[in-house]
Amino acid sequence: MTDWSVTVAAAVLVVAPLLAGGLSLAVRRPSLLHVLNLTSMGLLVLAELLITRMVLDDGPLTVLEASMYFDALSVFVLFIIGTVGLACSLYMRSYLDEQVARGVIAPNRLNLFFFLFHMFLLAMVLATTANSIGVQWVAVEATTLATTFLIAFWRRRESLEAGWKYLILCSVGISLALFGVVLVYYSSLHVLSDVGKALNVTELFPVAGQLNQHVLKLAVIFILAGYGTKVGLVLMHTWLPDAYTEAPAPVVAMLAGVLEVVAVYAILRIKMIVDYAVPSTFSGNLLLLGFASFVTAALFILVQRNYKRLFAYSSIEHMGIAMIGFGIGGTVGTFGGLFHLLNHAFAKSVAFFAAGNVHRRFRTVDISQVQGVMVAQPWTAMALLFAGLALSALPPGALFASETSIVTALTASGGGENGAVALSASSAAENGRMGLVAVFLLSAVLAFGGLIYRVTVMVWGTPQQDIVRGEAWTAGHVPMVLLIAALVGFGFVLPPPLRELLGRATNLLLLR
Amino acid sequence: MLSEMGSQLIDLCSALLLLTCFAIVAQRRLAACVDLFALQSAFLAGTAALVGFLTDNHHVYVTAAMTGVVKVIVIPVVLKKVIQRLNVKRELVMNVNVPVALLICGMLVILAFFITRPIIPLGHALTRDSLAIALAIVLIGLFTMIARQKAVMQLVGFLVVENGLFLGATAATHGMPFVVELGVFFDVLVAALIAGIYTNRLQDAFDTVDTSHLTGLKE
Repeated sequence: MTDWSVTVAAAVLVVAPLLAGGLSLAVRRPSLLHVLNLTSMGLLVLAELLITRMVLDDGPLTVLEASMYFDALSVFVLFIIGTVGLACSLYMRSYLDEQVARGVIAPNRLNLFFFLFHMFLLAMVLATTANSIGVQWVAVEATTLATTFLIAFWRRRESLEAGWKYLILCSVGISLALFGVVLVYYSSLHVLSDVGKALNVTELFPVAGQLNQHVLKLAVIFILAGYGTKVGLVLMHTWLPDAYTEAPAPVVAMLAGVLEVVAVYAILRIKMIVDYAVPSTFSGNLLLLGFASFVTAALFILVQRNYKRLFAYSSIEHMGIAMIGFGIGGTVGTFGGLFHLLNHAFAKSVAFFAAGNVHRRFRTVDISQVQGVMVAQPWTAMALLFAGLALSALPPGALFASETSIVTALTASGGGENGAVALSASSAAENGRMGLVAVFLLSAVLAFGGLIYRVTVMVWGTPQQDIVRGEAWTAGHVPMVLLIAALVGFGFVLPPPLRELLGRATNLLLLR
Repeated sequence: MLSEMGSQLIDLCSALLLLTCFAIVAQRRLAACVDLFALQSAFLAGTAALVGFLTDNHHVYVTAAMTGVVKVIVIPVVLKKVIQRLNVKRELVMNVNVPVALLICGMLVILAFFITRPIIPLGHALTRDSLAIALAIVLIGLFTMIARQKAVMQLVGFLVVENGLFLGATAATHGMPFVVELGVFFDVLVAALIAGIYTNRLQDAFDTVDTSHLTGLKE
C-alpha cells in the first residue's frame, strides 16, 4: 500500500456520491437508480475500509495537499456513515419500490430523491474528512440544505411545516457555529502566520496551547449552541421530533443514525483543540447540555402518543447520554461516549426501519391505532421489540455496555487527569456527583418505562379487521437482521479492529 | 495617518450597517425590508473593499465583489419575485411593536459590546471595533426572526445574521481562508433560493406565509 492508494481512496469517498448524484438526475429507470446507489455506497465503504487500514497501521494522515485529514476519530465516523448508509440503501430498495407502486411517489420524482440522498452523503463525508474547520462548517450547512427537501418529500402540509422549521432553526443554529469558527480563527491570529491554512486542524493541534483563552471560551459557547442545534440537544431540539415524524423512513434513519454523529464529531473536533488551551471549559458545558437533554427527553418519552416522535425523543435522550460521557471524559467516559454513538446509530436505524414498515401497513403514526404488529408483520414486530429493548439499554443490545461504562465513569470520575478533577475536589463535590448519578439512573428508568410500555402496546394484541396480515420477506429486512446481529455481537465482544479503532479515537480525545 | 483615517472610515461603514439593521426592525413593509437588506449588503461590500484596500489583501476584493453580486443584486431580486407572487402588500404582523423592538435592539447592541470587550484588544488595530458591531448585527438578526412571523421576513433575518457574520470575519481576521468564504457564499445563496422555493410551497399549501399558521405539529 502506498500514498497513491490512499489518495485514490480519499478521492473515491468524494467522487462516488458526487458522480452517483449527477447520474441519478439523468437516469429514469428505478432499478438502475438503485443499482447506482448501491454501487456508490459499496465503493464508499471499500474506500473507507482501506483508509481505516492505513490509519491503523501508520497513524493520522493527510491527503490532497492537506485538504483532507484522517485520524482514528474521523475514520470511526466514516465507518458509521458507511454502514448505516449501506443499510439504508438496502432498505430503500423495498421501501421506495412499494411507495412508487402505491402511487405515493411519482416515478419521475424518484431521481430527485436519489440526487438529494447522494448530496446529503457527500456533505457528510466532506464534514468528516475536511482538514479545515471552516470547510467542515460549510459541509455541515450543506447537509441542512440537502435534507430540507428530503424531509418535506411527501409535500403534505405537516411535512412542509416540519421542513420549514428544520431549515430555519438549523440554518440559524449553524450560523452561530460559524461565528464560533471565526472566533477560533481570531484566537490563532498571532500564533499562525499562514492565513490560508490557519483553520486546518493539522496546523491548530500543535499550537493549541498558545491560542488565546478568552476568545476560545467565547467560541465554545457559539460552537456548542450551533452544532448542538444540529445534534438536537435540548433547548435547540424543537425541530427534531417534527422532522423525524414527517420525513420518509430511510431519510430519518440517516438523520438519526448518521447526521447526529457527524454533528457530534464537529463538536469533538473543536473540543480537541480547546481542551489544550483552556482545560475543562468544554466538560462542564457538555455535562450541562447532556443532562438537560437526557432528563427532558426522558420526560417527553413518557407522554408520547406517536411512535415516530417516541423514537425521536429517544434520539435526544441518547445524544444527551453520549454528551455526558464526553463531558466526564477520562478513558472510560470517552470510550463509552464513542461506543454509544455507534450503538445508537445501529439501534435507531433498526427502530426507524421497523417504524417505516409499521407506518406503511397501518397508515398511522398514532400508537393507540396500532395493535398486534406481531400478527400483522412478525418480522417487523421482532425488530421493533428488539429496537425498543436495545434503546432502553437492556442487555442483549450493546447500548447496555456503552451506557454502563458512562455511568461507571460518572460514578468514579475522580481518577481522571482531565476536566473531571474539578468535580471530585471535595466531599461536597462527592455528594453532587452521586446526585448526578441518581438523576442519570432515574431518567434512564423513566425512559425505559415509557419506551417499553409503548412498544409492547404496539407489538402485542390483535390488529383491526382491515389490516392485512402476514409479511413477505423483502430486501428491506436484510439490513435490519444484520444490524441487530451486529448490536448483539458488540454487546458480547467487540471485533479487534473496531476495538483498536475506538481505543485510538479515545486516546485522541484525551489530553496528551 | 492613512491607517488612522482608514480605521475611522471602517468604523463609519460598520456603523451604517448597524443603522440599516435598526431600519429593518422599524420597517413595516416587506418590500422595503428587502431594499434595506440590499442597502446593508452594499455597505458590507464597501467595508470589505475598504479593508482589502487598506491591508493590501487582494482576495478580500473578490469577496467584496461577490457580496455585491450575490447579496445586493441576486438575492434581493429573487426575494422581490417571491413577494410579488405572494401578493402580500399589507403591513407586517409583529409580535413586538416597533418602539419596544427598537429598545430591545439597543440593549442587544450594549450586550454585544459587553461580551466582546475582553477580546477586542487582541485584534488588528485597523478593524477591531467592528467585531462588537458584527456581534450586535447577528443578535439583531436573530431577534428579527423571532419577532416577525412572515416566512420571507424570517429569511431576511437569516440573511442579516449572515451579513453580521461576514462583517465579523472581515473585521476580526481580514477575511477567512478563500475556500471557506467561497463555501459560505455558496451555502447562503443556496439557502436563500431553497427558502424562496419553500415559501411558494407554503403559500400553495397553507394559502399564507404567516408562519404562525404552521401549528399542525404539536406534542
